[in-house]
Amino acid sequence: MIGNDVIDIIQSRKESNWQRKGYLQKIFTSQEQLLISNAPDPEIMVWLLWSMKEAAYKIYNRQTKIRAYIPQKLICSIISLNHDYSSGTVNCAENSYYTKTFIAPETLHTIAVQSLDSLNNVVEIENKNIIKDISGIPYLTSSLSNTFQDVSISHHGKFEKVVTIRPAF
Amino acid sequence: MNKEELIAQLKVIIKPYTTNTEAYDNLTEETDFINDLNINSANLVDIILDIEEAFDVVIDNTDMERMLDVKTSVEIIETKLAAK
Repeated sequence: MIGNDVIDIIQSRKESNWQRKGYLQKIFTSQEQLLISNAPDPEIMVWLLWSMKEAAYKIYNRQTKIRAYIPQKLICSIISLNHDYSSGTVNCAENSYYTKTFIAPETLHTIAVQSLDSLNNVVEIENKNIIKDISGIPYLTSSLSNTFQDVSISHHGKFEKVVTIRPAF
Repeated sequence: MNKEELIAQLKVIIKPYTTNTEAYDNLTEETDFINDLNINSANLVDIILDIEEAFDVVIDNTDMERMLDVKTSVEIIETKLAAK
């Protein structure tokens, strides 16, 4: 299974005031709040952690069919972080997800998967031949093999990303 | 405050975060914040903070989990107001 989340930083500045009183406390654990307050660029850390939660939640929702607003239950750990890339994990109840995030000046894109191996097999694809089930969960259809493949779509502001895990041959 | 008044006040709160004006104009108890009103999930927390300020209540994490639509939000606010 796969989940992703893209953030348009310019758009987020118009939509969200993360410095608002109480905002960070509602969505981030105390450990995550420490990561934000100690970060050289707190704004990037806010959206890095948020996109990790969103990408992981998409898998959790696909797995469990549970719909809930549970940002504090999606617990992020950062494994590596540099100016253009980060890797990490998100834990939710008994589930663990692995994430990687591409960081550019105006955008962040996080991809979450269930096994570390799959992270290397994630590919970006075009937004076509995608259908959604009644829960709104998207699948890539293949007319050749008559199969449905897990796919994740995210758009924010001027960015859209569609990702899937390349099947093993 | 009756339910109609409560929904009217909630409607004022969610307006700035709504991008789907048609769904907003036709808002009912069944309206879903994300699926119907296209509210960004990062703005759900703003709605929760605005509700806390407007109604002088505290929305804890357990309540927050369910605040995805008008009906549930109204129920939670009513319960909080009744407990005051």
